Amino acid sequence: MRTGVFFCQMEDSRNLNIDAIAKYSANLPEVETVQILGSKPHPDLNIVCEQIKSNNLERIVIAGDMPGYFKPVFTRAMAMAGGNTNEVRLASFLEHGARGENAMDRAKAIVACATMGVPFSLVAVPSGNPVNHATLIIGAGIAGIQSALEIANAGKQVYLVEQSGTIGGHMAMFDKTFPTLDCAACILTPRMVSVGQHDMIRLLTYSKVTAVTGKPGSYRVKIRQKARHVDIKACVACNQCTDVCPVKVKSEFDTGLSLRKAIYIPFPQAVPNAYLVDAENCTYIQSEGEKCGACQRKCPKECINLDETDQTLDIEVGNIILATGYELLDVSRIEQYGYGVYPNVLTSLEFERLTNASGMTGGRIITKTKHINKKTKDEEWIFSPEGMPPRSVAIIHCVGSRNKKYNPYCSRVCCMYSLKFAHLIKEKIPNVAVYEFYIDMRAFGKGYEEFAERIKQEGTFIVRGHSASVTMNNGQMVVRGEDIFNDRLVEFKVDMVVLAVGLIPSPGVEELSRIFGIQRDSDGWFSELDYNGSPTDTDRGGIYVAGMCQAPKDIPDTVAQASAVAAGVLRSLTSGKGIGHLSSLSLSEIEKRAKNIQTI
Amino acid sequence: MAIRVNPRFIDDLDRFGAEDVQLCYQCGDCSTVCSHADEVFVFPRKSMRLLQMGLDKKIETTLEPWLCYYCGQCSEQCPREAEPGETMMSLRRWLISRYDFTGIARQFFISGTTEIIAVVFVAILTGIFLLYYGFSGGNIDIYDGEGAFLPSTFIHKFDLSVGLAVGVFLLINALRMWYMTMIKGVTIPVPWWIYLKQLYQFPWHFFTQKRYSECESKNRQPLYMPWFIHLGLMLGYVTMLILVMVYIEKFQAGPEIQWSVHIFGYLASIGLIVGTIYFIRNRVRKNYVQYKKSHSTDWVFVTLLFLIVVTGITQHILHRTGIYEWANIMYVVHLMCVVPWLLRMPFTKWAHLIYRPLAMYFAAIRRDVLALQEKLVYSFPINIK
Repeated sequence: MRTGVFFCQMEDSRNLNIDAIAKYSANLPEVETVQILGSKPHPDLNIVCEQIKSNNLERIVIAGDMPGYFKPVFTRAMAMAGGNTNEVRLASFLEHGARGENAMDRAKAIVACATMGVPFSLVAVPSGNPVNHATLIIGAGIAGIQSALEIANAGKQVYLVEQSGTIGGHMAMFDKTFPTLDCAACILTPRMVSVGQHDMIRLLTYSKVTAVTGKPGSYRVKIRQKARHVDIKACVACNQCTDVCPVKVKSEFDTGLSLRKAIYIPFPQAVPNAYLVDAENCTYIQSEGEKCGACQRKCPKECINLDETDQTLDIEVGNIILATGYELLDVSRIEQYGYGVYPNVLTSLEFERLTNASGMTGGRIITKTKHINKKTKDEEWIFSPEGMPPRSVAIIHCVGSRNKKYNPYCSRVCCMYSLKFAHLIKEKIPNVAVYEFYIDMRAFGKGYEEFAERIKQEGTFIVRGHSASVTMNNGQMVVRGEDIFNDRLVEFKVDMVVLAVGLIPSPGVEELSRIFGIQRDSDGWFSELDYNGSPTDTDRGGIYVAGMCQAPKDIPDTVAQASAVAAGVLRSLTSGKGIGHLSSLSLSEIEKRAKNIQTI
Repeated sequence: MAIRVNPRFIDDLDRFGAEDVQLCYQCGDCSTVCSHADEVFVFPRKSMRLLQMGLDKKIETTLEPWLCYYCGQCSEQCPREAEPGETMMSLRRWLISRYDFTGIARQFFISGTTEIIAVVFVAILTGIFLLYYGFSGGNIDIYDGEGAFLPSTFIHKFDLSVGLAVGVFLLINALRMWYMTMIKGVTIPVPWWIYLKQLYQFPWHFFTQKRYSECESKNRQPLYMPWFIHLGLMLGYVTMLILVMVYIEKFQAGPEIQWSVHIFGYLASIGLIVGTIYFIRNRVRKNYVQYKKSHSTDWVFVTLLFLIVVTGITQHILHRTGIYEWANIMYVVHLMCVVPWLLRMPFTKWAHLIYRPLAMYFAAIRRDVLALQEKLVYSFPINIK
């Protein structure tokens, strides 16, 4: 079949050398002509038609990052030239993952398959490897918990690695979930408990993956387990050690708004329900056994061992799931909101802890009060029992999101949780004024739009217009914004400002992407293999992504993706074969297979 | 009244320097940070919106672009990097071209080459005329008095005629501005007494540029610098203009220094030279957001002004040191820069010398009119929902 290859590459920003691919494709059998058209201007219909006629082409291959964009022109040209329009074929570099180290070989294989008229996905199936039946899950937030339970309930071994002392992740910090206003802990804690008690799940808290070797189906993983200094099995969480511990540091779980001891339990419902020692702040460990050691002496079960050292663990697994989650953008970088300068400017996560019944105020929404630190004699603003509830609260959307200077993308959850905050404030404080400053209201999920309407009807002032200025005027915070629908500038005196801060990948992803050889997109999130077709797979076989670490998503989507990942893992386990690394297929192998399929 | 949409407006404005208007997603951050935006005049977002919708006839009637001094806060803050500050600047250029009835301004703004050719052409024409005049009656070795190469009486007449031409153009353009903004732009006829009541606004803003200093109060630059320099440059320019138009005969006499007029000349020169060097340096360095993008007219503006100041000072020194031949030549070169510069004034950015204080005056009137209208029509408050 006489074939013409047309390259319509959008922008040559990636490491693809179009000339080299064109040279390669010119040597393919039956290829009559190779043309590099570029993407601008749009290929001319008449010229293409002329090309088809003069070369007497029977098949056209459009190659490029987004060849489908140009297909209509070529199809019409083919029809005008009297050819078979079914023979206009696409060789999409982007869709079939021609990127990274093997980008050139992959691109060549994609073009070769298209010229032979064989779908790439039919040919490029790496051979299966026998699969180890254990699965490793990194990150024990709601995504990791969901995947672990799905797989473990199917009767397969799961290793669940978590870098902090407890599982639960960010969801454990939340008060309510939108749009149903269910209690987050009521959904999460039963799952956490079943993870903790499951026979098939081995929980590795306070641990980190340090190295991975092997191939899909049989990965050898090195895990470093930090010394917890408390025997999980023996500890009964009696709290006597915390009572005697003299060191006070900021609690990570309460986003630094309350204090904890150096030996502590992150929160009362933590799983495993055992204490741990923060080695960096423990007097005994820092002084190398010279001072303190009070908890060790006090413990009635004798389960504290302050001399314990870190351990390294080697495990073998068949599949790996990455569920590392997210963190908030450092909002003190965005100066105009005054975070870190004015005491009552809170991030969204801080507000979650404030309104949470298990938080530092027991769920009372109050403003910070001035307090003099007894030790340092410094003034500091803290949440104390005598704090007054705010009379008015401003909630500012899109802080750092959809902003070219910080995160160009939408963080997806902020609109909805901001509306939820408005509801919670209105529910808890009578006669409070809540102002929401938004740019675009993104209420996209099931029941979300209805929720947004409900919040509006509850009497929240929804201002269409973003605020970029929080100032202090005689001890009174003033939020200035443009009310676009009413065409005027507004200034509201508020007692509290909640910033709906954008989300960024958690800090460890850079290291993990290096350890696992997983690509990250320009925003830092893990790249999936194909956004539409296989949103949970990665370029590397046997490694999957679930939850926020792939892209911002809300809890329902996270749970859905986590379950989908579990299905992928179980597929490989029940078939006995894991799908290997696509890069392991050589170009000649793909060519050979394509030829075989073509002759059938 | 039907509103006609001009879909090509945004492309047209591209040629005046506003390239990124389409990026704007209407968040209102720019209006929030602007120290000049208030209840009545909310900008720059609103101007961006009108631009995106292609309502050129509506923008023609607005005063907002003139109320902006381009401190650059909005562009710094813009999450989309849509450059609202630069857009306001481009709108001012576009408005100058709209007020101008000859169409010359538009040609200057959309084609830098046209402007340079026009400037060079006028300069050469002036040079030829002055040399012809000088050699036909005067002696190149005499600077002032009997038989001078360019006698001050002649220069006085010459200056006044050029000034008259510029004045006529400016007056007509200012009248067009008044028609567009105060007749077409307001919903009820403006009572005459408001014009009188607010009349002080024009000289006040002309001589103090008070609003520019308010702009800088939020800016991080030390000592209200841009306002101070801008004011110095403007006052220097106006002083020089008065000296040259009115007191030229005393000004040109020499070689001893006439302190009664020259003291003003020296002060004005300092203002002008510091100002031009400051602006050229910033435009080359691009160190503040407002100097990042320079239109071709901006470059012609600062270079020509710099040349005028340098040739003027050189000519003055040569005259006082007694090198009359070279002083005369430098005088011709100086006038070759001055005449195109003056004639260029009604068609380029320098016209904002008149338009901006005029816009402040009109804005104050509009504020009063709106208050009056509100008293007449709306007596109930607007609720935010």
